[in-house]
Amino acid sequence: MNQTIATDNPFRVEEQDIMRELAGLIVPDSPDYAVPGADDELIFADILHSALANEHEIKSGIEYAIGLDCPLSEAITELEGRPEVAAFVSLVMQCYYRDDRVMESLGMEPRPPFPEGFEVEEGDWSMLEPVQRRGKIWRDA
Amino acid sequence: MGEAVNFEPADVLIIGAGASGATAAWNLAETKMRIVCLEQGDWTNPSEYPSSGRDWETRAQSDFSINPNRRAQPGDYPVNDADSPIKIANFNGVGGGTVLYAGHYPRFHPSDFRVKTLDGVGDDWPIDYATLEPFYAENDRITGVSGLSGDPAYPSKQSLMPPLPMGKSGQTLARGFNDLGWHWWPSDSAIATQPYAGRDKCINLGACLHGCAQGAKASTDITYWPEAIRAGVELRTWCRVKKIEVDDAGMASGVVYFDADGDEQFQPAHVVIMACNGVGTPRILLNSTSERFPDGIANTSGLVGKNLMLHPYASIQGIFEDELDGYRGPHDSIWSQEFYETGEDRDFLRGFTYEFVRGRGAVATALTGVHSGRIPWGAGHHAAYRRLFNRIAGMVSICEDLPEEHNTVTLDPHLTDVHGIPAPKMTYTISENSQKMLDFSIDRASEALRAAGALDLIVESPIAGGGWHLMGTARMGTDPARSVVNEWGRSHDVRNLFVVDGSVFVTSAGVNPTRTIQTLALYISDQIKKRLTNLFD
Repeated sequence: MNQTIATDNPFRVEEQDIMRELAGLIVPDSPDYAVPGADDELIFADILHSALANEHEIKSGIEYAIGLDCPLSEAITELEGRPEVAAFVSLVMQCYYRDDRVMESLGMEPRPPFPEGFEVEEGDWSMLEPVQRRGKIWRDA
Repeated sequence: MGEAVNFEPADVLIIGAGASGATAAWNLAETKMRIVCLEQGDWTNPSEYPSSGRDWETRAQSDFSINPNRRAQPGDYPVNDADSPIKIANFNGVGGGTVLYAGHYPRFHPSDFRVKTLDGVGDDWPIDYATLEPFYAENDRITGVSGLSGDPAYPSKQSLMPPLPMGKSGQTLARGFNDLGWHWWPSDSAIATQPYAGRDKCINLGACLHGCAQGAKASTDITYWPEAIRAGVELRTWCRVKKIEVDDAGMASGVVYFDADGDEQFQPAHVVIMACNGVGTPRILLNSTSERFPDGIANTSGLVGKNLMLHPYASIQGIFEDELDGYRGPHDSIWSQEFYETGEDRDFLRGFTYEFVRGRGAVATALTGVHSGRIPWGAGHHAAYRRLFNRIAGMVSICEDLPEEHNTVTLDPHLTDVHGIPAPKMTYTISENSQKMLDFSIDRASEALRAAGALDLIVESPIAGGGWHLMGTARMGTDPARSVVNEWGRSHDVRNLFVVDGSVFVTSAGVNPTRTIQTLALYISDQIKKRLTNLFD
């Protein structure tokens, strides 16, 4: 849950609006995959809260986007791949792909790895037969 | 109130509680000497490792990052790595780098100790594989190694536990190697595949690089340290060493350190053992200046901090049609040493290991895709993401790095840690031989991945953040003019000062060094035990 109260957040309202719009442009919702966009209320709350850990870089990227002086929907091709917004893009990915609904749409259980862990098939060790047949490859010294 | 600190002279003072310090402490404990270990970090609680939380992939980039400059935790010190294309990776705390390593646990080969004789480059070690073999076996027993006996890339060695599962990823890649007639084998791993010495078995968390919450991965905080402490070793955390002092006879008299309160203390000792890795050890040695040793202690040869070796890595990943293991399972699965020994038909000397990479997490997949341009912003994002999710597998090539004196650890003239102690500066370039090896490894891996069915490839060379292996900066040898410590780890200059970490490596081999670092720590501490009556002669 987001523990940040509005007055503690260092991002101005204008910056928050840009962050949310940009997040939704990077990862829009998809009815086909039944997933929300990154501007979804819960996901964006996570983004806003998590941005505090990397405030300077995120702020710098958002200021860059604001500085383009045109609607984000038009600036999006110019922004994509720009190093100035790389930290913000990383933040969006980190928060988006740990959302319950997104994880479930990918066939994942919405839980951390520990303590349940995961199943991995053992594999067919008879595949080693040609390697064994070839014999020693290390060098005498 | 905590227990009062005992500042009576220690018989043995070990600096650093990581892979080598823990091993040496355990081995010396049976002597009943008073052994004290100073560690600049603290214990880590496994229940707080990232894999216990939903944000585990985010924490892998922050408080559990492999890069101390990014992690910036209280136990860390900054490292200036601006003059190196490969950035520092380490962990400062009880267990050291073993807390964050993958658990890849190969041995060196016999040829790795005879590089000069066999290939005319680097130097030969003053010891050989046969000398270390019993210490490898002892370390394997304490650590608990999984794998499969009979690897044709090695002399015979016993496996203590069954190998980690191959999984879909391992089988897919193995098919490619079989098609080309190339070697592959289950990796030796410091990961328990069945209950072992009080540790539970691996449950495929997939987050080995950020601490194993299950306790299946053998980090020394849960292997050597509990036994060493039960045997009477004192481990003092939050103690950052500033310098080693010397007496009028030129012997180490003890160390000056900052304690948890930031107060400067002096711990006298009869023997000092350095176990701070290939960057931390030369940092302290170079900081330990005195009238007798104006260029740093143990540095008459001028070689402290020189010959830094890092193991340049390339990452070569394939994108496959079918779903593979993805986020499930440990990083380790199988390896290949097809190109390990020098080949006459190649334009470089020595060789490398391929370590297969099982897959990556959901966030890492997104970051890989977005930052490489494979996953677009906007409407195409979701379909493109799903073409990568659980469909990336491949390998890294770990290339033997040869010693070169211009690759160095020095003291930064400006940067310091929180206590004002000068920080280390890495100056490193990738040699022509290493670059050719990297390029060759990418070409051959690409062939293997295509043979395995990869549709596309993702290549990173060198892995910029991959300075995990820090070696060579206090090298071992019999000639005091060409080495820092002798053939059993004792400083040529200071007869009660020893080094047991990767700094003593003469050459780097083309494998992860931890198993050999710990084996050397056992070997050197065994030499100390055997020579107790005439240790300083």
